[in-house]
Amino acid sequence: MTTQTQDSAGRQKGVVVVKPVVYGNIARYFGKKREEDGHTHQWTVYVKPFNNEDMSAYVKKINFKLHDSYPNPNRVVTKPPYEVTETGWGEFEIIIKVYFNDPQERPVTIYHLLKLFQSETDVMLGKKSLVVEYYDEMVFQDPTVTMMSMLANTSSLGVSSHKHETDFDEKKERTINKISNAHGKIRYEIDQMNEKLKKSKDAIAKMKKEIAKLEEGVIVDGDF
Amino acid sequence: MDVRDILELDSNQPNDFVTKESLMNDGKKKKIKKPDPAVKRPEGMHRELWGLLHSDSRYQTDAAPIVPSDTKQGYKQMKARIGSSKVRPWKWMPFTNPARKDGAIFYHWGRVADEGKDYPFARFNKTVDIPTFSDLEYQQHLHDDKWTRQETEHLFDLCKRFEIRFVVVHDRWDRERYKAYSIEDLKERYYNICNILAKVRAPQGSEPKIKAFDAEHERRRKLQLTKLFERTPEQVEEEEYLIGELKKIELRKKEREKKQQDLQKLITAADSNADNRKADRKTTKKKLQAKELKIKDGGAIANPEPGGIKFPDFKASGTSLRSQRMKLPATIGQKKTKAIEQVLEELGLEFNPMPTEEIVTSFNSLRQDIVLLYELKLAMATCQYEMQTLKHRHDQLIANRSGGSVTHSQFKASSLDSFIEDIIGSSSVEVSYGGSSPSKRKFLVDTIDVVGTSTTPTKKRKAAIEQSNILKKIKQKM
Repeated sequence: MTTQTQDSAGRQKGVVVVKPVVYGNIARYFGKKREEDGHTHQWTVYVKPFNNEDMSAYVKKINFKLHDSYPNPNRVVTKPPYEVTETGWGEFEIIIKVYFNDPQERPVTIYHLLKLFQSETDVMLGKKSLVVEYYDEMVFQDPTVTMMSMLANTSSLGVSSHKHETDFDEKKERTINKISNAHGKIRYEIDQMNEKLKKSKDAIAKMKKEIAKLEEGVIVDGDF
Repeated sequence: MDVRDILELDSNQPNDFVTKESLMNDGKKKKIKKPDPAVKRPEGMHRELWGLLHSDSRYQTDAAPIVPSDTKQGYKQMKARIGSSKVRPWKWMPFTNPARKDGAIFYHWGRVADEGKDYPFARFNKTVDIPTFSDLEYQQHLHDDKWTRQETEHLFDLCKRFEIRFVVVHDRWDRERYKAYSIEDLKERYYNICNILAKVRAPQGSEPKIKAFDAEHERRRKLQLTKLFERTPEQVEEEEYLIGELKKIELRKKEREKKQQDLQKLITAADSNADNRKADRKTTKKKLQAKELKIKDGGAIANPEPGGIKFPDFKASGTSLRSQRMKLPATIGQKKTKAIEQVLEELGLEFNPMPTEEIVTSFNSLRQDIVLLYELKLAMATCQYEMQTLKHRHDQLIANRSGGSVTHSQFKASSLDSFIEDIIGSSSVEVSYGGSSPSKRKFLVDTIDVVGTSTTPTKKRKAAIEQSNILKKIKQKM
């Protein structure tokens, strides 16, 4: 940790705490349309800690705002697991709002597009359930003292290593490599383009000189 | 230049214009009626409106009047009141005009009350003081080689007669007896004599008032006006055309200079990109310092903006999502956004990758460089255009010449020519200078659409030809 000073608002200056999370939804197709309400899928939207820990140590509640057509669309979950299971027939955006135990810290809002329908290849493979989840990080910049202690004292849940549906570590490596490769290519092209531009600039200058000479009617004797 | 200038009078001096009052009220004081302390309702104003205004004004007694305080004048145009007073009698009577020296008596209709009074318009007869000079004064101070004594006296006679209306003086000048002078000559002589006399006669220590007249300036001014007036329609047309063209050329020059500056900025940015790369390989502090020094010494822009995207700093206290830091700022244009997306797609990258700290940083920096590349490509396009213009001009000049020197210069320029042809013809990055074989590699740059410079090559060429033709014409005219 870097220099820690406490300002008047009770914030720990220079401290940054990062809490990675995974959010998304799983969905399962009934196999047919349900008679009474036309629903086709059962789904669960969730927010999970990336590392296996008890988020309730610092999270007060998580609010899942569903589509207005659901009865009381604001679903509040106060303890883990932070998830809402419902049935439905359509995809929509779920607004997930994470409230913290210290009211001085503003809630964090995540937007998740509920996914129900599989891509054609998945259907071909005969998969019944579908997982769409994303990695993100909640960043606590200069947390308050109370928040800080809550963030530090999160107890680990279970001994077994936590597993997500998606292998984020592998994905991370792959993305980093891809970006650095891409960056190399771009930089190479920038250099090339730059060289070419410089050459063009020089050429333009030379052309101008030559034209000026020609216009003056002086016999060109320049050394090109 | 008018009389006021010559007499060096302040133009903002209050003019004692004759007003109706001073003209007609001979000595009679105008009776000023005091407005009634209680403001009356102006005639014609509705009672309801007056009620509103009046009750308001009662509380703010010092406020500017909303209604005209002269209640007699009325709110509306008043009807003329005819026949309300007795008729003042008129009389056919003789009068003398004090402005006349012959004492002639004329008759006119006048009010009985005005009988025996001075003719009121006599006051408009203003006379000018024309200085006179003695023989001694003339011999001592007023001698001028261009003027004879007779001519000078004739001039002063005429000036007195026509009250220094120089146009008339010039017209009545006795050309049979005396040499003909221009109006400026007459004026110059007259004012010179006035000034000399004023100086000579001024009492010791006091500064006489000098009448300023710059004859040379006046002559030049009239000459210019004459020239301007005598232009033929063709000349006027040509002048307008040339001025228009000059403006266009200057505008283009400015544009070009601006582009040059932008180009220099871009190149600096790209250079720093190259430097960064070297620094990445060997991150020694010495090198970094050397690089900073080099940038400062070079006089180049000390802090080249990396690629033109400015991601917001997340320095403020509080909570946020890491993924927010990858959002492109709203200030970035659609074209740039599109260019980024095109390149990312070509690279097989997600638009929103997994937001770990490392990935966010490198992804943002990657996109900055993509924008830089985009800007370089834009600059390249303008360069191509300019080269095309220049090349066309060049070819034209060569074609206009004949003889041995042409082949000579063509031969000399040929290596440059091939480079230019390469650049004009190619859109991809690699230019095959020095015989290196053109590679088959696909360039990311080619996936970027440089929209906005979308005029087709043939169109550009046509525009270039037109431009150079006009320039040639101007050159000839000048």
